[in-house]
Amino acid sequence: MHVFLLGVSHQTAPIDVREQLDFSSRDVGAAVETLAARYSAGEAVVLSTCNRSEIYVASDDLERARQELVDFLGSYHGLPREAFESHIFVHADEDATRHLFRVAAGLDSLVVGEPQILGQVKDAFQVAATRQCAGPVLTRLFHTSFGVGKRVRSETGLGEGAVSVGFAAVALARKIFGRLDGRGVLVVGAGEISTLTAQHLRAQGVGEIVITSRTAAHADALAADVGGRAVPWSELRGSLAAADIVITATGSQRPILTRADIETVTDRRRGEPLFIIDIAVPRDVEPSVGEIEQVFLYNVDDLQAVVQENLSRRSAEISRAESIVSEEVERFAAWRRSRGAVPTVVALRQRFEQIRRAELQRLEHKLGPLTPEARAGVDEVTRLIVEKLLLAPTAHLKALPDEETQLAYTEAVNRLFELRDESPVAPAADEVDAEQPNRTRS
Amino acid sequence: MKILPLLLYGVSAVAYAVHFARRDPAAGRAATASLLVAALAHTFVIGMQTMEVRHIPFASLPNVVSTFVWLLALSYLYLEITTEERAMGVFILPIAIGLQSISALTPGVEKVDPVLDSPWFWIHVASLLCAYASFALAGVLGLTYMLQFKEIKKKHLGYLYNRLPSLLTLDVMNSRAMTIGWVFLTVGVAVGVLWTAQARPLSPDDPNLRAMSLDDPKIFFAVLTWAVYSFALFARTRLGWTGRRAAWLSAVGFIIVLLNFLPIGYFVTTSHTFQ
Repeated sequence: MHVFLLGVSHQTAPIDVREQLDFSSRDVGAAVETLAARYSAGEAVVLSTCNRSEIYVASDDLERARQELVDFLGSYHGLPREAFESHIFVHADEDATRHLFRVAAGLDSLVVGEPQILGQVKDAFQVAATRQCAGPVLTRLFHTSFGVGKRVRSETGLGEGAVSVGFAAVALARKIFGRLDGRGVLVVGAGEISTLTAQHLRAQGVGEIVITSRTAAHADALAADVGGRAVPWSELRGSLAAADIVITATGSQRPILTRADIETVTDRRRGEPLFIIDIAVPRDVEPSVGEIEQVFLYNVDDLQAVVQENLSRRSAEISRAESIVSEEVERFAAWRRSRGAVPTVVALRQRFEQIRRAELQRLEHKLGPLTPEARAGVDEVTRLIVEKLLLAPTAHLKALPDEETQLAYTEAVNRLFELRDESPVAPAADEVDAEQPNRTRS
Repeated sequence: MKILPLLLYGVSAVAYAVHFARRDPAAGRAATASLLVAALAHTFVIGMQTMEVRHIPFASLPNVVSTFVWLLALSYLYLEITTEERAMGVFILPIAIGLQSISALTPGVEKVDPVLDSPWFWIHVASLLCAYASFALAGVLGLTYMLQFKEIKKKHLGYLYNRLPSLLTLDVMNSRAMTIGWVFLTVGVAVGVLWTAQARPLSPDDPNLRAMSLDDPKIFFAVLTWAVYSFALFARTRLGWTGRRAAWLSAVGFIIVLLNFLPIGYFVTTSHTFQ
């Protein structure tokens, strides 16, 4: 059984193509069911986010899987193949595994190490699992990918450090104040970054967010957006006194907060720190304000520099994350290979069991006089002998290093024990698989 | 006997260093656990000594230093458990190891001068040791504060920025440690003064008691320490000297404490040379 992947991502397709192939805005569950119904293996997972649409299936025939998935994409989205065929990528087996593990780890994301993708991978699997569309191969594959995502996040610094100006500001506030509960925030002037920053701060549980702007309507709108309180522009200096964090983002050509303004406030703060984030260009706060003891002044360039530094620190962690991915790909490949041996193992077991029963049957006239307990004992002993005999061959067959060796071994076992002529063994494969519970790292 | 805790503190220091460098939570838990084991072993050693000499081993300087290290380890563990901040371990453990080595290398004879045989003496030493342990913590917190302050103020958010706690956390903990230390220091010094006044008429010829005055470096430095910490607390509440200024004062205060404790205690003092 092979793992096959076909999809588009921000690396291979422009936004308009990705939009046309998007599943997330439609019913992903229905798509998964349609897909799973088409393949003999009955396994399919669809991962669709704004950066990617990827279909994972388990299939015995890779070329057929490719053809069918391209047809499916075209018919499901009502597009001619030419519209998207040049943008899709396909991976099989180890490459497909590696791709999913890299995605789950955040290595394939637009912003390397971003945390949302792992949740999206989990959701995608959940949709398939609840519809019984994820069989043993994909279940194992996705569960392992969750583990990879977790490992990369805990063992490397790939997801560390804020990589947007708003988050960088919040991270700094936390390094200054510790917990942000109840801290007063003053937003001066409305803009995209100041809105985002205020929203991040709100999520951290800050106290009151006071908003003021030269245009009262802007202040009111922002106040409604972030759940704050708008005050008239004339109250700017008065509102400073209650603020621990000040965000300025006005279009003013001259500084609106001077050193004297801030010193008046800090004198009354009794050494409590004051964090000022000046996002405006030109700057709203006199640069010399940063020299005041217990005042921490960051402008937009400072925050950009922090973001850049975090990004480069994340890239330095990529190789460590990649080696975790490789390790897990290898582990998954070994498991998949071991599954290749399953039909042979099952056939071998059936053969041995058949012989055992036949012999017991043949000796029936000698066993007849025994008490029921003694007969049960004979049954048990013979069963145990067969189990013991099969233990080592089963383990070896499942642990073969590559497909070529596996083929040679299977062939040998088939001939030695004359397995080919026996009853069909394929349907019993899941039975053995059930004996070996899926190892999940959660 | 003092070697065992010393070795265990060494193991703990390595664990804290690994935790600091890699920020691996498992290494952090191992560090706390190893320090707990070291502190327990130290408790056992001190307990054995107490049973042997029938009093807490306070009467010779090396033993006093060892008891101080034990108190420092316990108070640091308390701080760590209440704040869930492990970053200061890398700064505290070297102090503990350095002092414990001095103590282990200079074995002291635990013989109590008859003049000292008074409950006041034990209260005096115990309070001062608690004060010094608090000041050691405050000093390390102050140092950590200054390092973190520099990173944030200079806008260079590097190695330490990611590892050290927030400024306000450090400041609050520093203030608490200084206040607790100041209370113990005040009690310890006051008891010392009262007890000297009481003991002098009883043993008028004792050279130590005769030397008890501000002219003696140990006493002078003790009073200086008290003055520095009193000012630090006054300045925090009245002048708003929090943050970096408080951090500086706690670091300076601890340097004076350390000077008084070791070089002066070992070599210079004329009044505290009992035995």
